[in-house]
Amino acid sequence: MQPLVEMKGITKRFPGVTALDTISFSVMAGEVHILLGENGAGKSTLMKILSGVYEPTEGSIIIEGKTFNRLSPKESTLNGISIIYQELSLVNELSILENVYIGKLIEKKVLGFKMVDYNTMFLKTKGLLKRLGLRRKPSDKVSDLSISEKQIVEIAKALAFNAKIIIMDEPTSSLTSEEVTRLFQVVRQLKREGKGIVYISHKMDELKKIGDRVTVLKDGCFVGTKTIEEIEVKDMIKMMVGREVNSRYLSTKSEEDIRKNKIFQAKNITRKDRKVVDVSFDIYEGEVLGFAGLVGAGRTELMDAIFGTAPTSSGEIFLKHKKINNKNAYSTIKQGIGLLTENRRETGFFHNFNIEQNTTFIDSIKKSFLGGIGGLVNHKNDNAMVLKQKEQFNIKCRDVKQNITELSGGNQQKVIIGKWMASKAEMLIFDEPTKGIDVGTKSEIYRIMRQLANDGKVIIMVSSEMPELLSVCDRIVVFSQGRIKTVLSSKEATEEKILSAAATQS
Amino acid sequence: MTRKFDFNRLWERYGTFTILLLMIMVFGFISPNNFFKQSNFIQILLQSSVTILIACGEFFAILIAGIDLSVGSIIALSGMATGQLMMMGVHPLLAILIGGIVFGGLLGAINGFLVNVTKLHPFIITLGTQSIYRGITLIISDAQPVFGFDASFSKMVAGWVWIFPKPVIIAIVVALILTFLTTKTKLGRNIYAMGGNKKAAWYSGINVKLHTLIVFMISGICAGIAGVVLTARLGSAEPLAATGYETFAIASAIIGGTSFFGGKGVILKVLVGGIIIGAINNGLNMLSVPTYYQQIVMGALIIGAVTLEGVFSAGMKGR
Repeated sequence: MQPLVEMKGITKRFPGVTALDTISFSVMAGEVHILLGENGAGKSTLMKILSGVYEPTEGSIIIEGKTFNRLSPKESTLNGISIIYQELSLVNELSILENVYIGKLIEKKVLGFKMVDYNTMFLKTKGLLKRLGLRRKPSDKVSDLSISEKQIVEIAKALAFNAKIIIMDEPTSSLTSEEVTRLFQVVRQLKREGKGIVYISHKMDELKKIGDRVTVLKDGCFVGTKTIEEIEVKDMIKMMVGREVNSRYLSTKSEEDIRKNKIFQAKNITRKDRKVVDVSFDIYEGEVLGFAGLVGAGRTELMDAIFGTAPTSSGEIFLKHKKINNKNAYSTIKQGIGLLTENRRETGFFHNFNIEQNTTFIDSIKKSFLGGIGGLVNHKNDNAMVLKQKEQFNIKCRDVKQNITELSGGNQQKVIIGKWMASKAEMLIFDEPTKGIDVGTKSEIYRIMRQLANDGKVIIMVSSEMPELLSVCDRIVVFSQGRIKTVLSSKEATEEKILSAAATQS
Repeated sequence: MTRKFDFNRLWERYGTFTILLLMIMVFGFISPNNFFKQSNFIQILLQSSVTILIACGEFFAILIAGIDLSVGSIIALSGMATGQLMMMGVHPLLAILIGGIVFGGLLGAINGFLVNVTKLHPFIITLGTQSIYRGITLIISDAQPVFGFDASFSKMVAGWVWIFPKPVIIAIVVALILTFLTTKTKLGRNIYAMGGNKKAAWYSGINVKLHTLIVFMISGICAGIAGVVLTARLGSAEPLAATGYETFAIASAIIGGTSFFGGKGVILKVLVGGIIIGAINNGLNMLSVPTYYQQIVMGALIIGAVTLEGVFSAGMKGR
């Protein structure tokens, strides 16, 4: 059978780097082809060549028998290639139908004037939505839709362009497990219709469920293409990382040994907005405490309450037997508490600062006086500090004066860990620390967390990915509706137990 | 690709200076005999001094992705306060301190306070206080200019040191102090951080409200000093002084490469931006363009200069 699209010997060189080195890749009708690789392996570059954003240095693209040396974005679309980015590109203020037909409105002639044919578009959009199983009116505003519904609208938009190949870039990264199931139904529907899907994801557990073939890239090179039946998940990881990745990072001490020295206590924490109600828990020296729960269970809200970035009506916290005044972040930072926020881009770093300024910022705040405004910047110290953190956490960059936005997500996260450690924090809260980070870097972050716990730091990990909670945390708190449902030790915890506890209604 | 990138870097660093050079070349070409005199360069600096002062303050407001539209009115009100205090017999030095610097800072702090309390964009708040402060000026002066100050006042603020007029020295000293503040102090670094990402700043323990207050106070103090300088130069406190000067302040900051999105900019380049505005004014006078037409040319040149800045830095933003 002839593939829908075939990329042959694609090489892409940027000045100074070879981003892709003679890659071959093809998509058949009715298959989901998974494209796997760490951040920076060249997945996006390859897809950008397919969608016409980049011109390949060498190689050719064959679409249904026609050979191209390069594609313009327009040629790419006309030949049925459509890409759905992680950051969706819909216009929130417009309706579904306007979004679906944006840039290619259907027109009709009324009294010799060209007018927009809303009726036809409405009916066609209705048909598309029905086909994709989205129960919404074409006239509904996009801003009222959930993220998963927006994704389906993106797919409808691709289909309206007669897309034959749909590229999906990490489509499930912000979906709940039910929404993932729904998305997979849609993907299967597309397969039945004979579309080819290119699927990019870092979530290893879903690949087996949805994929037909897997292609792995590493450092811009082709590692291999396999059918999903002939490869195990751990082999895929080995192919993309180039080594076996440890899957267990639990403490090596016995449970009794760990339970000796209580180093953190939270007592009766209740938020003013009651998103967290009467929460108490302890952390012992040497353990990583996990927080599991569904999206919206109030875990992030609890961490905000502890860190002092949300008002509480009651509650006390003790770090190493000292009562912590957590009226605001300045005060908790000064007393040695750090929070790695859930949303790196929005709250984790300063995009106008370089790596050095970002790494030294917390230390600078911690050592300031007069509520943060007093004190001088010491550039020499800063430089020494960032070099040390770069070394310790293996931060990959050209230069510490490089802007932080030029780094990959994983390296940005390491800078953020570095900035808290540079400030000598005694306690670190990791809120979804591996979101959007590749497998290799994920394991580095787990290793760092374990090391910090072994060094006597208080470590909390909030995560929606159960496999990582199970492989890193010595105890897991299951959270639901702002309350603790149960606490499971690593021995007794399973995905089923966590899920059933998280889903119980009070 | 690499070459283009490097060009952007270069432009980011030296773009403002290039615009100044271009300006000097154009005016120098049209009117070589008058423009290139040493005395004329001093004259340009002197005419720029008030603009530089308020531009340095405006820089901070723009740095936190805000704006201060009230600087012109603060000039008039603090100038008037200084003048009236002196007419009441207060020693000029004390009058400058209270009526200019402290009062200017207070007016700025009111801006900051209102921004914090109402959570409205500074554009709205300072648009309001621009009108309020001007109104107060007109009321306390009864819409009449105040003049006839002690000669020591004019000497103190508008005199000369060697070949340099004091307003120029004051403007440069203020710019240097603020350069120190932005590059060497934690306060400065915090303000940049807040301009880059307000939420991340809050999560890093920065007291956002306190810093907003300080930013507007700095802008107010700069405008207050500018008010004293202008009053001394004119020898009279005018109720309608400095009307529309916020345009010059904003234009200087933007020509000086300060990002409207916050978090990026350098005081020294804002100073150059202020001189560019001064040079435009001066050049137009040289060419004896009538005052009304000057306004049109001025506006067009501001748009042109900022466009030039934007065209060359577009590559940076597009990435």
